Amino acid sequence: MALTTVDHSALKVNQTGIVATVLVAFIGSYFFRPVLVLIPLLAVVLLVGTFAPQLALFKQFYFKVLKPRGIVKPRPVQDRPEPHNFAQGLGGVFLVISSVFLLPVPVIGLALALLVAVLAFVNLAFGYCLGCQIYFQLGKRGLIRAS
Amino acid sequence: MPDLLSARQTGIDSRVVNTQLWALAAAGTVVLAAAGLEAYRAARARRLAAGTTSAPAAEPYILYFTGDNCTVCRTHQEPALAKLGSVRVDKVDAVAERELADRFHVYTLPTTVVMTADGRALHVNYGYAPANKLDRQLAEARSGLTLEQTATA
Repeated sequence: MALTTVDHSALKVNQTGIVATVLVAFIGSYFFRPVLVLIPLLAVVLLVGTFAPQLALFKQFYFKVLKPRGIVKPRPVQDRPEPHNFAQGLGGVFLVISSVFLLPVPVIGLALALLVAVLAFVNLAFGYCLGCQIYFQLGKRGLIRAS
Repeated sequence: MPDLLSARQTGIDSRVVNTQLWALAAAGTVVLAAAGLEAYRAARARRLAAGTTSAPAAEPYILYFTGDNCTVCRTHQEPALAKLGSVRVDKVDAVAERELADRFHVYTLPTTVVMTADGRALHVNYGYAPANKLDRQLAEARSGLTLEQTATA
């Protein structure tokens, strides 16, 4: 499968958005519990962005606001977008599960949301993408068409 | 009554604080457990892959396992390999050449294997390996160190 150009700055902005939203929900809920609604909203944003990239909120914020104004410089890399989309979708699924638990067992709900934020941060800071590694393993086992 | 008074004065619901702390502890435990498992898995794969043989060559060389989906390969590993100069690097698609990848217990990309001239795996690096680390490992391969000597070095 041919490589295309993926702007890694868009991915970084997306990861920053995930980390920031979860942190706001986590810390904000300490003062005002309804702030936790940000977690199911983030799940929707991630899942919608996975299946319709033109509706990916954080990426579109980068393409429409940050990039044209020169606030964040583009970083095009020869890459495939599928593993990144898969990782984002996986994050969205975990946040859906987190949202289901938020009311009955908030500890589990918050812990799952924190894990998503930790993984997004690890990707942002160190370039290690767990979702991409899972995508590789699934491809290796022939469960998805990885290459 | 002093506790109740204190809670009323601060306006903080202790159950909420407990929820936050427990969630933090749970997430921290999962992260630590995952890091421990990853370290164990890497050590086990390294042990199993060390000494595996492949084609001999005139000089020590590097087997570089990569794939179309590996971003770190392109952004980090390939620039590091380019810094090594004239060293032979055999690029292997880990998905297409699954048998070879399995022989070296490749479970993550990138994976780099430093091979001795007689075709033995001397060092296996799971994940990104910087140029200076690969340089050091190649120097060991050139000096003819054995697996046992590198383990004790």
